[in-house]
Amino acid sequence: MTSLDHGKFTRVTTTFHSLLALDVFALFFTGYSLTFNDELWWLLSLMGGPESVTALHRAAGFGLIALIGFWATLMVTSETGRSNFQDVMPTGEDIKAFIQDVQFALGNADERHPAAKQFAGGDTDDVPLLSYIGKGVVFIFAVELFLLTVSGLLIWSKTGLMQYFNTKTAAMGFVIFHGLLGVIMLMGVMFHIFEHGFHPAFYPVEPKAFIPRELIPETHADGGISDLSLAPSWSTVSTVMGVLTVVGIVSVMVGSIFDEGYPVPRELTVGGGPESLLLTIGINAGIFVLFVGLVLSMYGNLLRVRWERRLEEDRRQPAATDGGHPDDD
Amino acid sequence: MSYQEDLPETSGYSKVSVVISAIVGIVLAVVAVWWAAGTAVFYEGLFRVAPTVEGGGIGADWVAGNTVPWLDFLVAVVHAADVIMGLFILLMVFIHWAAFRRLAGQMQGPDEGSQQAVATDGGETE
Repeated sequence: MTSLDHGKFTRVTTTFHSLLALDVFALFFTGYSLTFNDELWWLLSLMGGPESVTALHRAAGFGLIALIGFWATLMVTSETGRSNFQDVMPTGEDIKAFIQDVQFALGNADERHPAAKQFAGGDTDDVPLLSYIGKGVVFIFAVELFLLTVSGLLIWSKTGLMQYFNTKTAAMGFVIFHGLLGVIMLMGVMFHIFEHGFHPAFYPVEPKAFIPRELIPETHADGGISDLSLAPSWSTVSTVMGVLTVVGIVSVMVGSIFDEGYPVPRELTVGGGPESLLLTIGINAGIFVLFVGLVLSMYGNLLRVRWERRLEEDRRQPAATDGGHPDDD
Repeated sequence: MSYQEDLPETSGYSKVSVVISAIVGIVLAVVAVWWAAGTAVFYEGLFRVAPTVEGGGIGADWVAGNTVPWLDFLVAVVHAADVIMGLFILLMVFIHWAAFRRLAGQMQGPDEGSQQAVATDGGETE
């Protein structure tokens, strides 16, 4: 735990985030072992073959609809949810933050824009609830999840879909649409994992999405990034993960071009891309990045449990005789 | 929990909102899936309606399949979106990767940190 951390999510949000992540990972692992079955044959077999994978995908799809329904209702019916809408709206500052991020990366700016910062480094008033990336994630993922759910429901029963379109190829067209649409989210989630797992100040995982803000004492007002020391493994691990993320994104993007599948081939398989060793390695690299994300999500929850325990223990000790807390300094 | 009493008051979500939202979510999922699965009941009728190529019945699917222009268009659009979004996301990865390296450069190195601390207070570091 660094002095720069502050929780940004409420307890409900942290729990929802973890459940959504688990569900979306389940959808990715099952869905893409079908779509990229010629590259991920081992994953398909591991989960019990096509029929079992399809059933698992549908079960996770059911979970996704329930989660989306829960969140949408909560946002509309609760005061906190409604007040957050303003924080999600993009502003001119977000565009400035993007431009400044490019400048910062090129070495032309001294620091990142407040709307790009993932940590406070000051108090919460200085840094908005969501960075420009965070807002992008909210909007892109919301649109994606909606379209994926609608197209997913349409192809839930392909025979049902054929009733409307009278052709098998139309049904397969929807399957292709659904799979290709998911690729955008797949790439976005890889970036999300890299962005929040490999920030040098938070490596190996940014705890703001796991430790609810009600548990974070607001005592981190001073101290900057130069006070923090870098983890010995950061350089190596972030480089490896950066390479894997880029390779993974490029590969699923290329895979989505090759596996176009529409007009549909004679066999009802969604895959059928080139038997390319490079693409196979690349797509597996992408799946590995997702797996790392799954592990980091678990680790984030472990951090929360440890944080809660430590907080509870610290506060029970008589050390706080001055009325302060051992953590206050 | 009593140990949290002095921690910041943050506005969370009320229990009622959470419970209502959970119920709505589950009901929505059940109805949606019931609707999706329910459409399967009529599939037999499909193959008996018009067993000709013109009518799009059984055996006609491969021939008549590619004639849904908007679906064709939709698939083309999402193909393009994959590439455009993919390149954009790659750009974001590279910007953040570079930014992270710069931030890491501003932090104290794993060895450097302890040396500095020793130099300033003469004591041992953790």
